[in-house]
Amino acid sequence: MPLLKKLLSDYAAHSGRYDELLVAPQQPRPHWQAFISAMATRNVPEIGDTLSMMEREIRDNGITYNVYADGQGSDRLWEVDPLPMLLPEAEWQAIESGVAQRAELLNRVLADIYGKQDLMRCGAIPPAVIFGHAGFLHAAQGIRPSGGVHLFHYAADLARAPDGKWWVVSDRTQAPSGAGYALENRLVVSSVFAQLFRDLNVRHLASYFATLRDSILRLSPRGDGSPLIALLTPGPYNETYFEHALLARYLGFTLVEGHDLTVRDGRVWMKTVDGLQRVHAILRRQDDDYCDPLELRTDSALGIPGLTDCARRGTVFLANALGAGVLESGALLGYLPALSERLLGEELRLPSVATWWLGEPAALEDAWEQLDHILIKPLERSAREPAVFGHALSASEREALRRRVELRPQRYVAQEWVRVSQAPVIEREQRDRLAARTVGLRVFAVATPQGYQVMAGGLTRVAADGNSYSITMQRGGRSKDTWVLSHTPVNTSFSLLGRTITPNDLVSARANLPSRTAENLFWYGRYGERCESTARLLRVAIAQSLDRDDAPAVPQLDRTGTSLPALELARRQGLLGASDADPGALVLACTDPNSGLGAQFQQLARVAFNLRERMSQDNWRTLNRLHTDPLFAHAVDTQVQAGSVLAGLDRIIITMMTLSGFVLDGMTRGLGWRFLSLGRRIERLMHVCTALQVGIGADGTHSLDWLLELADSTLTYRSRYLAAPEWLAVLDLLVRDDTNPRSVAFQVKGLREYVAKLEATHGRFASDLLNPVQALLDALTPADLTPQSPALTQLLGQAQRAGHAAADELTLKFFTHSAARSVLSLVA
Amino acid sequence: MSEALPPQDVARLPARYDVEHETLYDYAAAVSQSWQLARLRPRHLAWQKVLSYALQIDPPVDERHETRDAFGNDSLHFALHCAHRTLRVRMNCSVEIDARDVVPALLGQAWERVRDQVLADPSHDDLNAARMCEPTRLVPLSEQARAYAQRFFSPGRDWLDAVLAMMHAIHADFEFEPGATTVSTSVDEVLAQRSGVCQDFAHLMLAGLRSLGLPARYVSGYLLTDPPPGQPRLAGVDATHAWVAAYAPGLGWVEFDPTNDQLADQRYITLAWGCDFADVVPLRGVILGGGEQQMEVRVSVVPV
Repeated sequence: MPLLKKLLSDYAAHSGRYDELLVAPQQPRPHWQAFISAMATRNVPEIGDTLSMMEREIRDNGITYNVYADGQGSDRLWEVDPLPMLLPEAEWQAIESGVAQRAELLNRVLADIYGKQDLMRCGAIPPAVIFGHAGFLHAAQGIRPSGGVHLFHYAADLARAPDGKWWVVSDRTQAPSGAGYALENRLVVSSVFAQLFRDLNVRHLASYFATLRDSILRLSPRGDGSPLIALLTPGPYNETYFEHALLARYLGFTLVEGHDLTVRDGRVWMKTVDGLQRVHAILRRQDDDYCDPLELRTDSALGIPGLTDCARRGTVFLANALGAGVLESGALLGYLPALSERLLGEELRLPSVATWWLGEPAALEDAWEQLDHILIKPLERSAREPAVFGHALSASEREALRRRVELRPQRYVAQEWVRVSQAPVIEREQRDRLAARTVGLRVFAVATPQGYQVMAGGLTRVAADGNSYSITMQRGGRSKDTWVLSHTPVNTSFSLLGRTITPNDLVSARANLPSRTAENLFWYGRYGERCESTARLLRVAIAQSLDRDDAPAVPQLDRTGTSLPALELARRQGLLGASDADPGALVLACTDPNSGLGAQFQQLARVAFNLRERMSQDNWRTLNRLHTDPLFAHAVDTQVQAGSVLAGLDRIIITMMTLSGFVLDGMTRGLGWRFLSLGRRIERLMHVCTALQVGIGADGTHSLDWLLELADSTLTYRSRYLAAPEWLAVLDLLVRDDTNPRSVAFQVKGLREYVAKLEATHGRFASDLLNPVQALLDALTPADLTPQSPALTQLLGQAQRAGHAAADELTLKFFTHSAARSVLSLVA
Repeated sequence: MSEALPPQDVARLPARYDVEHETLYDYAAAVSQSWQLARLRPRHLAWQKVLSYALQIDPPVDERHETRDAFGNDSLHFALHCAHRTLRVRMNCSVEIDARDVVPALLGQAWERVRDQVLADPSHDDLNAARMCEPTRLVPLSEQARAYAQRFFSPGRDWLDAVLAMMHAIHADFEFEPGATTVSTSVDEVLAQRSGVCQDFAHLMLAGLRSLGLPARYVSGYLLTDPPPGQPRLAGVDATHAWVAAYAPGLGWVEFDPTNDQLADQRYITLAWGCDFADVVPLRGVILGGGEQQMEVRVSVVPV
């Protein structure tokens, strides 16, 4: 097999490390053979295609990981290696039972730490290990969560030592991340190797998520309607927001931020447009000390005041419990074997990497002697103070480290430096061979009445380069799907959605529109419409001002001294400065990403970002395309040819039409759709009124084509009149004709309809504003359809004011509680 | 201010006080929601009896829930869900304070032994000593505080002698200056500017003691507003006062007031204790709306 040889030719198994792929040079391990043989039947271009296909899929799905470090908080695409990590079932079972046991043990430790505290009292855990860890919350003491489950879900980071044994490097107990990425990796990679995936009997992930969902439901308190489970995210700027949105969607939980929730009568409620809805359980991805500004960190603007007391009263189930993060302290690792004997009466099945708490004087002494073989890290994971590998330090660095550590040795642990195993990856630049990279495995477990259930698979994390010691996602790095290979065929009929939907779920899926989401939908509608009308306006303005005899040239702002109405409108809309006479200004309004059209797209993107979990993949992809359109790539180059700007605007307008199509065809006519549509109609009403005001105010020398063009009504007009545009017909089409989707009448009719629907369930708020506009419309006669008509002027003014006022009333009625901010006071 | 130590020869009869502690908020705009957490009920202690206690909240609260926190302080959660422009919280209580155990001049043990005993046996004061050795958000690790404290804790020095010396030094080195600091002023800033209020001095003392591995906690309470004839008016009487309790095996918690350079006696009424100020804030809250707010606190402690 020449390709196999070629694939493996550069694959250097690092001596002194365990290699996941090879048992001897050029010889794959037995559980890899089927996979490698199948790979070898593919040719190199095919592998290239596979990579491109995956990259496209990831980009299209918008799978990202926000990187704090790069300042802009911008998204980075999630990188998945196409080659899965393979684990034979027998080996997996050892991991599985080890992780389940460890989760059970950690939960009991938590129950003691926040309960009777016997373990500290008798010295089984030094108190400083717990009290000295920032994750310990005094406020959580005495809280007994439902079922005694402090640790609802848990993740262990494992690494394989040179002897082939798996060791736990660290525990994730606060709000373990990665399960959603594991799921996404599975979707991507299993579709790439669909046949292999079936042939190799890869165990499925879905049952883990179904268990998680059933389990949290079982642990939730009852009352106030059917159980509502919220996934609490710090928001779209969090590094793993994509995962929060994905999990919420997959599990059928409502994605919320702290401001969406409030505490009343000792219970937690979600603020929705239908009023307050009781929340029974919260899967929190927000760190616990930020969860409640009343009792925990006072400087937290993200929290829910009173949440801690609700947990104390048992009216809400928090997963994980407040204070669970204290177990992430590496200092605990050394005490776990004895704790396992004591609490479970069992030997610890899965050992931790040798770790010493430096609060023990003997350990501190040893650390300086063993410095070449250990790494030293603070108890709390911290970006400011990363782990330090002793062997890499100079003499002076060692001295500095020693001073720092000895100031407070209790804050540090020393950990044996394990040469972690490596696995093959395909590098983008070298698609015809396999490269060896350091890997680590994150395994997930969730509490059930029968003990912890472990996800069959997990997230395999890949270090950035071949010799890396540490693997972190925050500083870059890739991941892999993890395949547990079963000997027997796996049950493929299982599907999360098929199994657990009940009639109750059908109802709740339609309810629970958080006010914040409703507000975002409203603004998504407005900004979407604004972007489209701006693009149309700029297209008209450029076309109109182009001196066609002298093409191609930069557009002229003034022709024969009189301002064109489209330019006047552009000034009114703030797209051009009041006295902008620079021909480049119009081009700039199109291409500068930070002003004009570009700025409006930024606003749209910001709102869309906050709605990400509600967008279909296609919708998101289309939005991404707008964002990356070459039109905005010219930045401030005013010399861009008008032709290419026009082409860019055409492209944008078509894309915007596609986005409208998603709303029209892709959204159920629920509450959310209504808010979005209200936004669109209000925005369009304002825009058409302003355009008409400019039009009738301009002198009569200009043709009316621009107005029709702006309102996308040229075709309609021509099919009806077969004549040059005249005011009577144009005004009829753009004002009175309620079948024209761009007319004033059409907007008013739609607004009244939507408002009436909302008022039927939520009480009056805006129909009194819109009815007089309708009356004016009804009273408009054909004789009023001239630029000079006072009735027309009055109608346009009134319609605009009503649009403004309706938006205000809507905000007041449905969004205000999402806008209010907390003010904190501390009093001596 | 009193320089004499140990203090006063007040009659060692139980002293009785009426305490009134009123907090008044005035908001420029209506507050639509308010969640508050009050720690305003004085503790029951061997030397302190709470004879009567009442908490009045105006406007009336929509909900309330009483709990006891991890330090044993009574805490009241309450919330208002109707629009209001003012919030008045008035605590009235009557307490009886007995004489405390006499504190000897020396502990008879070096400070290192105190440190090592607490480290070796976490069960001191049922784990509460170990709980009070760690850095907190308001009293983080501070090399400056450690350096400041180190001067008093020469090797082998008697624990009590050293802690008293530290208390004297803080009183001598720092200016009591209301308004010089805010609730968020750090220990290092206080060390640099050499002035502050009782809360700052307590935090500084805690930072120093804990940096040496010695357990110490933050105590909040009240002082007699007007002193008996002939005695000076003490600092920290206009609001809640703060001082420090330090722990030594055999002696238990001894309360030091660096602001007034004396041990706590029958003139000290104990409200609550914790790791730092944040654990004992008499009233802390989160409100929606309100705009600019004005806050007024009145405390009076009258002997009866």
